[in-house]
Order: sequence, then structure tokens, then C-alpha cells
Amino acid sequence: MENKLLINLIPGDTFLHRLTGKTKVRTFIVLLIYLIMSFDLRLILPLFILGIIGLKSLKPAWKTLKYFFIIIVAVNLLNIVLFWLADPDIGAYWCGGDNTVLFKLTDRFYLTAETFWYLMVRFIKMITSFMVSVVFILSITPSELAAGLYSIKVPYKICTIFSLAFRYIPDIGRDFQNIKVSLQTRGVELDPKKASLKDRLKQNVLILIPLIISSFDRVANISNAMDLRGYGRGKTRTYYSEHEELKADKAFKVIYVALLLFCAYWIITHNTMPQDFRMWYPFA
Amino acid sequence: MPMRTPIVEFRNFSFRYKSQSEPTLHDINLTIYKGEKVLILGPSGSGKSTLANCINGLNPFSYDGVITGSCKVAGMETKNASIFALSKVVGTVLQDSDAQFVGLSVGEDIAFALENQSVPRKEMLPKVEWAAGVVGMSDFLMHVPYELSGGQKQKVALAGVLHGDVDLLIFDEPLASLDPMMGMTAVELIDRIHKEQNKTVLIVEHRLEDVLHRSVDRIVLMNEGSIVYDGDPDRLLASDLLTRYGIREPLYIKALQYAGCELSSEQKLADIQTVDLSPFEEQLKKQQMMKLEKYVPRLGEEILKVENVTFAYDKDPVLKNISFSVRKGEKIAVVGKNGAGKSTLAKLLCGIVRPREGRVLINGTDYTQYSIKEIGERIGYVMQNPNQMLVKDIIKDEVELAMLLRGKSRAEIDEAVKKTLKMCGLYPMRNWPVSAVSYGQKKRATIASILVLQPEIIILDEPTAGQDFRHYTEIMEFLDELNREYGITILFVTHDMHLAIQYTDRALVFSEGELVADDSVFRVLSNDEVITKANLKQTSLYTLARRLGFEPEAYIEHFINYERMVRVHGKQAAD
Repeated sequence: MENKLLINLIPGDTFLHRLTGKTKVRTFIVLLIYLIMSFDLRLILPLFILGIIGLKSLKPAWKTLKYFFIIIVAVNLLNIVLFWLADPDIGAYWCGGDNTVLFKLTDRFYLTAETFWYLMVRFIKMITSFMVSVVFILSITPSELAAGLYSIKVPYKICTIFSLAFRYIPDIGRDFQNIKVSLQTRGVELDPKKASLKDRLKQNVLILIPLIISSFDRVANISNAMDLRGYGRGKTRTYYSEHEELKADKAFKVIYVALLLFCAYWIITHNTMPQDFRMWYPFA
Repeated sequence: MPMRTPIVEFRNFSFRYKSQSEPTLHDINLTIYKGEKVLILGPSGSGKSTLANCINGLNPFSYDGVITGSCKVAGMETKNASIFALSKVVGTVLQDSDAQFVGLSVGEDIAFALENQSVPRKEMLPKVEWAAGVVGMSDFLMHVPYELSGGQKQKVALAGVLHGDVDLLIFDEPLASLDPMMGMTAVELIDRIHKEQNKTVLIVEHRLEDVLHRSVDRIVLMNEGSIVYDGDPDRLLASDLLTRYGIREPLYIKALQYAGCELSSEQKLADIQTVDLSPFEEQLKKQQMMKLEKYVPRLGEEILKVENVTFAYDKDPVLKNISFSVRKGEKIAVVGKNGAGKSTLAKLLCGIVRPREGRVLINGTDYTQYSIKEIGERIGYVMQNPNQMLVKDIIKDEVELAMLLRGKSRAEIDEAVKKTLKMCGLYPMRNWPVSAVSYGQKKRATIASILVLQPEIIILDEPTAGQDFRHYTEIMEFLDELNREYGITILFVTHDMHLAIQYTDRALVFSEGELVADDSVFRVLSNDEVITKANLKQTSLYTLARRLGFEPEAYIEHFINYERMVRVHGKQAAD
């Protein structure tokens, strides 16, 4: 019951799980840069496919994931519909000025091939970045995340926040449940059928007070426990969860370094030539 | 005798917390030698934890304060050292085994200190494996904290401070959150580490009898910031210091005293297995022959009936076919190890969760028709930690909350609140802020906030957890009075067998979701099978009875009856 989050605390045993935190964090950051920099379907589509493969290889709990996917797809669909409603000609700006009307609802609302292309690419880009993020989240443990961030020179005190948060969220959740139970027996009504939303919100604030007080006690204990084991003594630190680099990590290193160089080249060339602002549009 | 090297030396040492005007420790002179095993004993607020924290560096480096005099740990003057330098020689296992588990897995938590020293992972692994092996957790390296029991978490905490050059291990109230069986295992583990690893061990505790399950070299008794006794355990047990300073005496010592035995340190009192009973046999037999008025609780009609109740959160049942009934005025101990279904039962009786099968009847009516709120007017539930229950600033507001939420009239509320506050002895402090009162008073306030609805039954979860003997007695006498004077039925969910013996008449024993025993306390405590199933522990009375050739059941019953008489009438009258 404790782990309702998608996050793993213990590394799984698939190919991606077995990479080091350093590889995972660095690859993820490079892929994000890669995705953000362009609207070029030739660049996005391969990652979209790799994302699906990566996700499948992790053997995730599809049941939980399904809801996230539905929400993300729905939100992004709404997003592109709003884009279209705001400006049906938006594609022309990106695809080179033409407006090839596909069909027309009114004089104001019509769909052009260029707008359709632009919004489709936009949608795929959003879904891909979501998928890459999910693969990242599913493949990494909070401790590996801490170790990975530390490897890109984030101070370890900040890295610790990540692993500690995941350690204690379930505990706080349990406290919350206990406090809720005791208040319910005293007459706090949390049943949506019997109390209005406003009342329920008010009652939930009542739960927060003891929750905050007992969490403060916990924080004091945690910080003592950490001090007593020498936390914060040195400038550097090592990570038990960060195993030695395997062959796969070395291969990934070649890939992400190459990809990063490519991104640098792309960003420089596309930003120094403002004329070539347009996205790739095969039907121009 | 070989030369003894001191590892901790206090000389005319005093410590005052910056937030307080008076010193917490006064003029401490104490030497602890390498390889010793010392128990620091004392009631809450006696300064025993402060003393331990002065050794490991939490004082003054985490809690600011002023030191006068000197404290040397492994040759370092602590005020000139740092918490980090001290952590290399002193390993501390804190009381809260949950909060000190900072890693996300057992292996990570054990490695935490090594990580902080930037030990390369290759060197770290064998060290972690070794430490896990010493405490018997090798098979759990990849387990997450949520899968572990309190006892296992404590073992991990110990493994986490074991490696390296640590010479001195401090255990701060190691037994506070463990059930009796786990507590016994912990005491045995500490003893083994002390012997096998040649570590100096300091145990800070107020539960004397449990610690004495394995021998200690020395006991330091503290009271109000000073050392009042420093010497061998036998002499302490023969003296009257324990009673004077509010430490619960071991049950067997109590039994010997009740029989009028003249205790002296010559009888090696510290170990129930080897204490010399020969001088006392006659007295003990005479005591046992004494006819006592049998204590029969006055009980009313049946007010709660649980019939064949089964409950599960998902697939596996947490409660399996439970049946029992409760009569008005009963005091019942609900015992069993963690996860045996005790807290689920409490939730079920309060209607937070409802039976999958079977029925719960309150005063003959099936409770399915009542809402949680309505059940709360009949069965009250008091949580273990008052800080998790108190939501208002002022005691009076706290107590009237349940009435307000039920939309009662002002006049009705005022009357009920006044009555409840008087029952709980809180009337004079009704306008005090909750944060300004003591733990015991907070506990009373939480009980009052439940009693205001005039429930017939209250369920208390570990009412005395973490409390020393004085506070324990204060809380329990108060509850006993509620039961005696107002006929309130009380269910105690507890690990504390002393509590069960002293203050309850009947025990419901749970194991793996089943009710394995429903019987008088003395019969439960002399039943080996039940004791093992429920992670309980034989009390020392059982051992004493065996050694004397008495029937344990009869002996424990006799002791309970005698104890009740002493409590009600005083010792003279009882004799």
C-alpha cells in the first residue's frame, strides 16, 4: 500500500534500469535539449519511436500509466484545438507563407494543410517529451537521481532533498491518514455526499495543523540522525546506489555526447541564420 | 586487573541549553572505561538523554548550549571538537527508528556514513555487507524501509554506525517503540555486539527490567540532572532508590518485596535466572498461602458484540472471523505484534472501515446503520501521539470541537465541556494554550476531547508509550478512575505487559489477524503458545514461579490480586 507512486525505490532489472544514475540523468537532459530545440519531424519522430520501445522495455504497470496518458493526450489535444481556434493561419507562418485550405467551416474557421502539419508536429513533440520523461522517471530511483544530479555538479545537499523527499512522503501520508481517522470519529465529515466542498476544505485544514506539528518533530529527528553519521562534513560524497559504469553506460556516453554536439551545431546554425526560421515542411 | 582506559570522562561538567535558564546537567563526574556496558537510568527529564547527547556531540553542536567543566571523549575535549570528529568514535542509535532511516533501502542506509566520508563504492560494499551480517540483516539489503518492522529498522540503524573506528555505541531508549519480543531480541543483540565486537556500550533507558534481560556492568541513575547512583546493579536493586526516583522495579523484585523479603546485593538480584532465592523461600511460600480476597470486577450488561467479523483492505484478510463481546465497565488489553490486526480492529470498531463479513452490534443494534460520526458518540478512539490529535490552541476549544461539529446548542456544549474538564482534572487550566501543558496533560486533553461526547467505550492506542514510570502511573491511575467512578469501558491497545497485568482484567490476543486468546490476563501470560504467537514475552513472575516450583498461572493471579489490594488499600492493609 505504501508505494502508490510510479517511482521505484529499488532498481528494476531491465536494460534501462541497470544504467547508472549518471547516465540516466545526462541522457535525459540531452534528450530534452534535443526535443526543445526544433519542430522538425525528422528529428522528433525517431525519438518518438525510441520512446515507445524504451517504455515497453521497462515493463511498467500499464494500469496506472494509462490514466496519465489519457490525461496528457486530452490536455494536449485541447491545447492544439485552442491554438487552431486562436489563429487558423498559424501554420502559414511556420511552413512558408502558403495557405492550402483543406476544408472550411466559416470564413473565420477553416483548416489549412500547413496549420494541420504544424499542430500535428507540435502534438507529437509534446507526447514525445512526455514519453521520454516517463521513461526517465520509471527507470530511475530517487537515490540514482541524487547521484546523477551530483554527477552534473549539483551540490549534494540539493541532491539529498530529492532522495529524502521520496523517503518520507509515504510516512507523512500515513500520518495524514491517522489524523484523518481520529478527526472523523470526532465528527469531522469528509464524505462528499454529506458535506459541501467548502466545508470539506475547511476540515482538511484542521488535519494539516497536527500534521505539520508532527512533521516538524520528524524533521528534527532526521537532521540529528544525519548529523550523527557525518552528513555535511565533506565537500564531496559518494553514492552506494551508483554502481560502476557498465558497457551499456559507456555506449550511452558516446551517444549522448554525440547528440549534445549535434544539438550545439543545430542551435548555433539555426539561430545565426534568422531567415531560415521555418520548420521542415515536405509539401511546400 | 588490567589497566582500564577511560573512553568518556566527565569532570565537574554542567550543561545548560541556550533556550533554558537553568542547567539541565549539574556537576557531573563520571568515567566510562573502554569495553564497559553501562546503563544510564532515570525518569523523563532527568537529563539522561542530554548526557548522552553531550557525548555524541548533538550538544552543543545541534542544540546550542553552554558547557562548564570538561568532557573528554576518546581524549578529545568535546567542546573543542565537532559533531563530525565525534561521530568517528561514537555511534548513536536514536530512539525513533523510523526517522533515522534516511536511506531508501537497507543497504543505502547502512552505507550513509560511508557515503558522507566519500568512501569509494568498491570499498563500501564489503563494509556494508559485513555490518549487515553482524546485525543479521544480510538478506534484506535491497529492502525498502516500509517493508521492515521496528526491530529490523533498529538493527539497520545499529549496522549504520558499526563500521570504522567507532569504539563507543550509544543506544537512546532502544526499547521505546518495540514490542516485548523485539525488545528482548534488541537487548540480546546489543549484548552480542558488546562482547563480539569489543565495543563500549551505553544504554539510555528507563525500562530497567527489560534491559536487565542481559547483564550490565554498571548502572548510572540520574535524577534532575545529577547522578544519584553509580555502581553495580545488584546494590541498586536492593536499595530503595528505584522507588524514590520513579523507576519501575522489575516484577520479580516487587514480588520479593511483597513477600517481605530483606533484599541485599549478596543475592545477585540483577538476574532472575541466578538470583539466590534460598533465604526467601519460606517467606515466598507463606505469601503464596495467604488467602486473598479474589478481585472480581463489577460488570454491567453487554454493550458491544463482534460476531464472526472478517475484514480485508484488498485480497488478504487482516481480520479473520473475529468474535468477542464487551460488557460495560470492563478493562481489556488488546495485545499482539505489529501488523497482527490490532489497529485495524480499532478502526473497525470506530466504523472507519466496515466488516466484509459478520456484524458489529452496539447495544444490540447492528452498527451498519450508524455513520462514523454517530459511532463516535458511542465508541471513542484516542490515538497514541497527542500531537496528532490536538487541532486547537486552547484546551477548552479542543474539548468542545466534537460538540460544535455536531451542531449542539451553546448551553448544551458548555455544560458537557465543563463536566468533562472536571472529570479529567483540566477545569482549572481550561483557558490554557495546549502548547503550554505537559505531555500527560495533553494526553488528558485528547481523552477529554473524546469523552465530551459521553461514549460508553473508549479505545486507547498505547496510552503510555514512551512515558516514564511516574507519567505512566499518572495516566493509568487517571484512566482507572474514569473506569471506576464513571463506569467507562476501556480497551487498551498495548505492548506493555506490566500495564496489562496492573490495569486490565482481560486480554484479547491477536496474531496474524486471528483472535488467538480471549482470557484473563494471568492465564494468557502463563500460556506459552499464546505468548510466542503474539510476540509477547514471559514476565519475570513466570520465571520466578517456575524456579520456586509454583504453578505460574496461580502465582501470577495471586500477584495481581495482591497488587490490586496494595494499590487500593496500601501495603499494610493488604497484609
